[in-house]
Amino acid sequence: MTKTLLRTGAALAALVVAAPAMAEEITMIVCGDTMDPIHDKYIAEWEAQNDGWTVAPEVVGWGQCQDKVTTLAVAGTPVGLAYVGSRTLKEFAEFGLIEPIPMTEEEKASYYPNVVGTVTYQGEQWGVPVAFSTKAFYWNKDLFEEAGLDPETPPATWEEVIAAAKAVTENTDSAGFGLVAKTFDNTMHQFLHWVYTNNGQVVDDEGNIVLDSPEVLAALEAYKALVPYSEEGPTAYEQNEVRAIFLDGGVSMMHASIGAVSRLADTDINWGVANLPLGPEAKGPGTLLITDSLAVFSGTGVEEQAISLAKFLTAPAAQEEYDLNAGLTPLRPSPTIDALVEEQPYWAPYIEGIEFGGPEPLFTDYRAFQNIMIEMVQSVVTGDAEPADALAKADAALKELE
Amino acid sequence: MPGQKSAVLFAWILLIPALLYVAAIVAYPLVDTFHLSFTDASLRKTTNWVGWKNYQKIFDTEFAEIIGRTFVWTFLSVSLKMIIGTGGAVLLNAALPGRAVFRILTMPPWIVPMAIGIFMWGWMYNGQFGMISGLLQRFGLSDGPVAFLAYGSTAFWATIITDVWIGVPMVTMYMLAAIQSVPVDLHEAAWTDGASRFYRLRRITLPMIFPAAITMSMISLISTFNSFDIIWILTQGGPSGSTTTMIIDTYSTAIGSKKFGEGAARAVVICLFLSAFAILYFQAVTKLSRRMTT
Repeated sequence: MTKTLLRTGAALAALVVAAPAMAEEITMIVCGDTMDPIHDKYIAEWEAQNDGWTVAPEVVGWGQCQDKVTTLAVAGTPVGLAYVGSRTLKEFAEFGLIEPIPMTEEEKASYYPNVVGTVTYQGEQWGVPVAFSTKAFYWNKDLFEEAGLDPETPPATWEEVIAAAKAVTENTDSAGFGLVAKTFDNTMHQFLHWVYTNNGQVVDDEGNIVLDSPEVLAALEAYKALVPYSEEGPTAYEQNEVRAIFLDGGVSMMHASIGAVSRLADTDINWGVANLPLGPEAKGPGTLLITDSLAVFSGTGVEEQAISLAKFLTAPAAQEEYDLNAGLTPLRPSPTIDALVEEQPYWAPYIEGIEFGGPEPLFTDYRAFQNIMIEMVQSVVTGDAEPADALAKADAALKELE
Repeated sequence: MPGQKSAVLFAWILLIPALLYVAAIVAYPLVDTFHLSFTDASLRKTTNWVGWKNYQKIFDTEFAEIIGRTFVWTFLSVSLKMIIGTGGAVLLNAALPGRAVFRILTMPPWIVPMAIGIFMWGWMYNGQFGMISGLLQRFGLSDGPVAFLAYGSTAFWATIITDVWIGVPMVTMYMLAAIQSVPVDLHEAAWTDGASRFYRLRRITLPMIFPAAITMSMISLISTFNSFDIIWILTQGGPSGSTTTMIIDTYSTAIGSKKFGEGAARAVVICLFLSAFAILYFQAVTKLSRRMTT
């Protein structure tokens, strides 16, 4: 008995002494259904290079991911590293929940233009971009032909889009354009494509709200002009639902991400993809630039190592492998990406739009910003408000919000 | 009486675990929410006392309109559930062949996981691929697709219909049990006196099940008033806020915008309304039980 007690005591003492030498852990939340094998591979490599450190990733479904990360941070038990929408970075930064992750000039220059802007607030970077999404224009060539339009020439301007939508609606059984106006975040995203293809802005470089501008008004008027030529009741559809209608031949044109390509491959639709058509004030091809980032939360005691891990996972070679594997718009140019575009030309519009693209505007209360934009779009689409009035109202609401 | 004192003390000691449990999971969150409603709590690490500001703010905004909409939504939904549920219970109680099958058939809306049922309705309301729009076009009642969730008025009714679909089975089963508790000899006596089926329903069944109907209405009222999943999954409160009820607005403020203080103030207002309903319910039950016993 005494021997057993002594042995147990010795074992416990050994554990206490050994504790400081045990591996330290970085907790990590990844949004999605499964852990990407590329990230798994690079996490293992990072662990091998950082002796004594382990990474504990937890996969959380998209629906709960953002709320879980936020709740943990507010409760004082933050996760070490988390996958977040870059739109939330300002909110986290302002409330002191995350650490800045400064980028060197060389690092910044490695990305496509405007990408670093999606994670920059008050001159500092608050996350490392890890996933990128841009949009392009799709059209159904058969419906174009049936409507008497040239199937091989996509509309290049808003005016041409509206004219083509009218022709398809009047001459076929399908609607012209897949308009998105549901109470859903991507209604705001879809509208921002129009803003960024007309040289418009929501927030200028000095942080001023500049929504009420002729460029944005023109975008809202174009949106309204498409309502009679869109699917019935655009306020019932978000972008994936509109994509389903396009895949079913119910609309002839839409704005969509690269994911549409693989879905179209399973259909008989004769389709084409091009740059988003431009508004009258456009300076070049544009698109909304959406990134997700790896953010490092404050108060964990492992911030430095978490930053190291974030940078390791998003280093050019690792990131490129991840982008290609996941089918995401690449974050950085490279010879591999040039070869990809040459081999699969449908990638070209997704990359060409980046140069004049714009970020999701950063607001402290991002959800309120989103709601104001959705309300503006819906009021115009349903005919409850004229574009100029809806725009002025939204601009005033955004100024009050900030 | 020392013996009585020690018995009371012993009773309190026995109650302590339950009291602690209730204090932890009911009282503390309530008190904390009430406290939070007087602060500017958000993601910020510090919170400040703001007095009645959150309450003033919610009544300065469109919240009054939202309260009105919540009451209309709740009234319509509960009324329909009670009418359909009670009617269904009367029919299920009738001596019809295959009655057991019909009873089983009322259950699916209750058995199917709520989210799945709501998604199913979402697809049925879809203008392009939905069954309802398809049937309307097939029977020549509509020239083209009808997107029920696209317009304020249709979306409002669509959410009510889904809520009724989910809520009716519980009302039906509860009211069926109430109907079956009505003494058979009352019906037999009335039948002997030549009372028609409708007369017996009006003068015997309905008055006898009235207390149960009051109880069911109140239970349904409270759950409907706080109905979140149906509206959130179908419309997220849109289009243009036409289906935004108090619980949706509270969620959007507290969780969506991370304005925990303002969200707590909204939650307190909801709590006050529900408390008022509960008081009305207990008063009604007390009155009814007095009437039944005298």
